[in-house]
Amino acid sequence: MDNPYKVLGIDRNASDDEVKRAYKELVKKYHPDQYQDNPLADVAAEKMSDINAAYDQIMTERRSGGAYGGGFSGASRTYSYAYNSAEIRRLIQSGSVTQAEQLLGNVSTQDRDAEWYFLMGSVCYKRGWLNDAYTHFAKAYQMEPSNAEYSAAISQMNRQRSGYMNGSPVNRGASSDMNQACDCCTNLICADCCCECMGGDLIPCC
Amino acid sequence: MFGYIRAFKPYMRVCQYDIYKAVYCGLCKDMGRRFGFFTRFALSYDIAFLALVSLSVRDKTLSADMQRCIAHPFKKTMCADCKNDLSYSSSAAMILIYHKLKDDIADKGLKEKAAAMCALPFFSGPYRKAAKRLPKLAREIGSAMKQQNDIERQASAGTDLACEPTARMMTAIFGGLPGGGEKKALLERFGYLLGRFIYITDALDDIQEDHRNGSFNPLLRIPGSTAEKDSLSADRLREIRSYADDSINLTLGELAEVYVRLDLTRYREILDNIIYLGLKNTYGNVRSGRFKNKNKRGNHIDG
Repeated sequence: MDNPYKVLGIDRNASDDEVKRAYKELVKKYHPDQYQDNPLADVAAEKMSDINAAYDQIMTERRSGGAYGGGFSGASRTYSYAYNSAEIRRLIQSGSVTQAEQLLGNVSTQDRDAEWYFLMGSVCYKRGWLNDAYTHFAKAYQMEPSNAEYSAAISQMNRQRSGYMNGSPVNRGASSDMNQACDCCTNLICADCCCECMGGDLIPCC
Repeated sequence: MFGYIRAFKPYMRVCQYDIYKAVYCGLCKDMGRRFGFFTRFALSYDIAFLALVSLSVRDKTLSADMQRCIAHPFKKTMCADCKNDLSYSSSAAMILIYHKLKDDIADKGLKEKAAAMCALPFFSGPYRKAAKRLPKLAREIGSAMKQQNDIERQASAGTDLACEPTARMMTAIFGGLPGGGEKKALLERFGYLLGRFIYITDALDDIQEDHRNGSFNPLLRIPGSTAEKDSLSADRLREIRSYADDSINLTLGELAEVYVRLDLTRYREILDNIIYLGLKNTYGNVRSGRFKNKNKRGNHIDG
């Protein structure tokens, strides 16, 4: 990839806030919602993924304290982050939910970013506190709509919230049956076309 | 227990219904044999569901025969016999009922209090017997009950926290079924989510009463328009219902995920009916106020 700073249109020495601001503006500009039914949708989607990749790269580099581009040493600042997200993720994975919650609880209110809300949501989810989990996931998604992890979490919960139950005969009902019926017709017409190509006819009337 | 976990009969096949009923009858007889005649009246559909899951987890074919019973003195009905070993379910039922009665005495209205006081002596002996069989479960349920009292005293408790005691009880009950490792974890989460369902449904069921008496109910605390004194306004009621709908749907959606992963095969159709149709049907009845008018405790299945 090109210089990630160039993609976001900012200087290498920009502060974290500036990076975030630039990122958010670009996301607003290229968000797929803006390009529905627009021929430029593909281009915008490509641009979006570039922007995301660039932002992720900058943030991971800054988080680990390293500087972009190996030999470049001028701006190697170390960033003390309010919490260690990898550690908290590990704790949640291994089921030490109370410990993870404690670490998250220690983070002061102004340091709570989208990931904080996502992690807190995961803690609640593991516990079975689904209402709180939903609120936190929604907040994480609202703060960073382009993040695949957050949007997957919220869309799963939104599906359940609207009454979906995995494996239920009820939600298998209407929609998919309809699809099957449509598929069946399409297949028949397709077969008919093939027959007609070869000089035969499967459905005489069309 | 409350009788909220029941099958949706119109979608059941007759052969499935017969099994469901036989399990219910078998439980009733088992409780009678083990704990005395009076305890049989405390049986609910929830326990029948527990028994069904326990049979399914142990992968047991139902062994049943035709028996007479007090509810049907002139007609023999299919009834699960002793070989099925329903002792876990009936002992768990005893422990639950005893604590429920004690809870009623502590914080219900005068009428319920009196009823619970009268019933309690019949249940304290059986409770001791059941607690001796399942000491760990009795301890867990006792401590969850205590937590419930604490939570009801602190005004700020949210819905998730308020659900916790009931959910913990059900976690302990389903976690006590045979099966180790991952299966145990799944059964525990299954129980937890069922407990959440029961609690939220019950909270919605009691909403008017709790509002009148000023009793604790997490649904009365959700943010929104303020309520009038005597009865809840239509707007407020709508808010509460839609909040309860979301909570219930989230809970049932997650319950279904766990249920699919549990992958129970025996009695699958009956369990499917209860999980996918029965629970939603009960909730729908509670929501529209139809549930209260019906026989809530469901002391007996009528054919």
